[in-house]
Amino acid sequence: MKKTLRAALLATAFAVAGTAAAQAQSGPTLRVGMAAQDVGRLDPHFAVSTIDRVVVAWMFNGLVRFKPGSIDPANIEPDLAERWESSPDGRTWTFHLRRGVQFHGGFGELTADDVVFSLQKAGTAATSAFAADFRAFQTVEAVDPYTVRIVLRENVPSLLGIVTNYSGGYIVSRRAAEQRGQDFVRAPIGTGPFALERVTPNQSAELTANAQYFRGAPQIGRISYRFIPSDASRDLAFQNRELDVNYGRADQTWINRTRQLPNTTVDVFEPGELAILNLNTVAPPFNDIRVRQALAHAINRAELVRFRGQDVTREAQSVVPRGYLGFAQQPLLPHDPNRARQLLAEAGHPNGLTVRVIHTQLPEMLNMMQVVQQQLRRAGITLDLQVVEHATFHQQIRQDLSPLVYYSAARFPVADIYLTQFFHGRSIVKTPTAVTNFSHCNQADAQIDAARVSTDLNEQRRLWAEAQKILTENICGVPLLETLLVFARRNNVEYGYDLQGSMSLGPLITEQTRLR
Amino acid sequence: MVFFFVRRLLAAVPTLLAVLTLVFVIVRIVPGDPALVILGDQATPEAAAALRERLGLDRPLWTQYVDFLTSALTGDFGTSMVTGRPILDEVAAVLPHTIDLTLASMVFGTVVGVPVGIWAALHRNRAIDVAARILSLLGLSFPVFVSGIFALLLFSLHWRIFPVIGAANLNDLGDRLHKLVLPTVTLGLIMAAYITRVTRSAMLASLSEDYIRTARAKGVPWRRVVWVHGLRNASIPIVTVVGLYVGILIGNSVLTEIVFNRPGLGKVIVGALNQRDYTMLQGLMVIYCFLIVVVNAVTDLLYGVLDPRVQAA
Repeated sequence: MKKTLRAALLATAFAVAGTAAAQAQSGPTLRVGMAAQDVGRLDPHFAVSTIDRVVVAWMFNGLVRFKPGSIDPANIEPDLAERWESSPDGRTWTFHLRRGVQFHGGFGELTADDVVFSLQKAGTAATSAFAADFRAFQTVEAVDPYTVRIVLRENVPSLLGIVTNYSGGYIVSRRAAEQRGQDFVRAPIGTGPFALERVTPNQSAELTANAQYFRGAPQIGRISYRFIPSDASRDLAFQNRELDVNYGRADQTWINRTRQLPNTTVDVFEPGELAILNLNTVAPPFNDIRVRQALAHAINRAELVRFRGQDVTREAQSVVPRGYLGFAQQPLLPHDPNRARQLLAEAGHPNGLTVRVIHTQLPEMLNMMQVVQQQLRRAGITLDLQVVEHATFHQQIRQDLSPLVYYSAARFPVADIYLTQFFHGRSIVKTPTAVTNFSHCNQADAQIDAARVSTDLNEQRRLWAEAQKILTENICGVPLLETLLVFARRNNVEYGYDLQGSMSLGPLITEQTRLR
Repeated sequence: MVFFFVRRLLAAVPTLLAVLTLVFVIVRIVPGDPALVILGDQATPEAAAALRERLGLDRPLWTQYVDFLTSALTGDFGTSMVTGRPILDEVAAVLPHTIDLTLASMVFGTVVGVPVGIWAALHRNRAIDVAARILSLLGLSFPVFVSGIFALLLFSLHWRIFPVIGAANLNDLGDRLHKLVLPTVTLGLIMAAYITRVTRSAMLASLSEDYIRTARAKGVPWRRVVWVHGLRNASIPIVTVVGLYVGILIGNSVLTEIVFNRPGLGKVIVGALNQRDYTMLQGLMVIYCFLIVVVNAVTDLLYGVLDPRVQAA
């Protein structure tokens, strides 16, 4: 009797699972248009470009995750780990995994072994682009099949931030990664709501719903992620109802035009990319603080925001983007071209000065730099722009060939990351530990280091604020504006959450997302 | 004929070797670090160095060059540095789309350009001739990204006859042909404009020759004089232009591919260049060069067919 009952229950369970699978895969197809020629590496630990980040977020989970639609680190919630605890000193973290989470493609159940493998892979320079984020990790070990322990060498501002569904925090299948080797970059296996079916080079990535997804089968059957580099063609395809979701331009004209389309919603969301003019403070002409101050006075942020658009940009308020944990608004020098000329004269440049600057030909960055060029010209600073192709730009600015670097970036929303990468002495370009410190500033190293290892959030905030004050006073960089992300969707697309932010730089498609 | 063709292909070997060397050197002297492109802007020098080592970019240049030549000569182009996929697979995925567009545009350009050119030549300095010249000038003046967008606005958005996304299912002939129409017309019109002008000039030169006057004096029907005596002798420059243009079409169709959202070799080349995918660029250049050599050889072969004196020489 017992056996019969168990068999019946099993049969019912399989039938339900089978029906769910069939329903999930036979559901509607969501067509997403992206401004790109092709995807690059879909191994999440190598997904560095926007196009790759957007799609891996649909296929993978982290131990924890940002609440969908939010990038607030305070809203981090369980993902593959159903709970966790940390030691009082904050150096030992234990994560308890959900049971029964299945990898795509029959690669079995997620265990602590997969988590250990993933975090070790993400922390190794040869197998990850985000290895530097894991510098503080001492050991990662499986306590039992469903428990993982992480021991840190030193405190980090946000351990949860490192193991969230972002960058190196994604968990992959150990068996798949080892079996597929180099092929894993284009045939990755995760646990997310959607699994990669195939990539057609130059055309699309096709994903199917993961009917066994642990939060429930997705309501959308498939995602067709189309690579359409031409803005005009992509907009026409969206208008022609060949796309349901469209990557938008951070441009007011585009937003206004798209909002006028019938049945269309334009989502503008975080994280904002902060653009800063980084000034090399150890080489002429910017080694003289009066010249840096002159340049800061020459900048008119309000005009820059008007140029790009009020809906999609906002004036920068510090050397850290607003909204990041630890952000502190700073009194930036006001727009005053006369004061700028006066300072230049005091610094020995009564007739103004000319600075040779390397800049990218990427249209949105070049346009903005041309506006900056005009503003500086009014104050007597002439920028001699050497416009180069984007990859060349990245190489040459890292070779310290430009005394002024316009750089726009978004990072994990904790002040430490931004401050360390852009303003810590360890990150100065052309050094063995370089990242993107183009200003050569190191005056706030003590505060940044102390904040990183502090376990007291109030103390951390105080130190980060102090660091921002020091860097702002030294004019290591001139913050310009923050540019938000823009996507358009047809009104029948419901994401299943309120899209205010997304660390994957695109809308998260979840099991709740549906097409009405 | 076969001997002639083989001889032409063999003559292309030094060209191919020179191109291989040039490509190898050029992709390496272009600034831009592939490791940085792959790892993104937060990469540390340590991570970039590790990746360069894994990609073999830290080895001496001559070692890389010998490896590249050896592999290319054995038909092994390696794998893409960015996607990790075999280059031949990447090319095979897009080549049918490129061939479709190239052949269709060539046929369209020739079928439209040759008759219009002949017509204009026969009506020299009359309204038809002037109209043909103005239209061909317009065809040459409109870049694909302008005419293509116009075509999409009219035929896709307004009349909804063709889709905006032109990536066809290769296993569905109907879909393939349907999605080929707009790009073919857009690209083919430019080619037709070229061919119209060349055909007109060649026909004018040919029709003023003594043998045309003789044929007419002998009472040969005018239609035969034009199509057989005139066109046959004017066909060498036309074939030359078509041959050259096919080479240009293979590589330069990138704008058409971008505007009409079609996959193709041109788009892959631009992508590889942007991402500093050295191995992909090298492989693509070898394949592209090989296609050009074949097209040139076929053009030479056609010279021999059209004018037996070429073969004899």
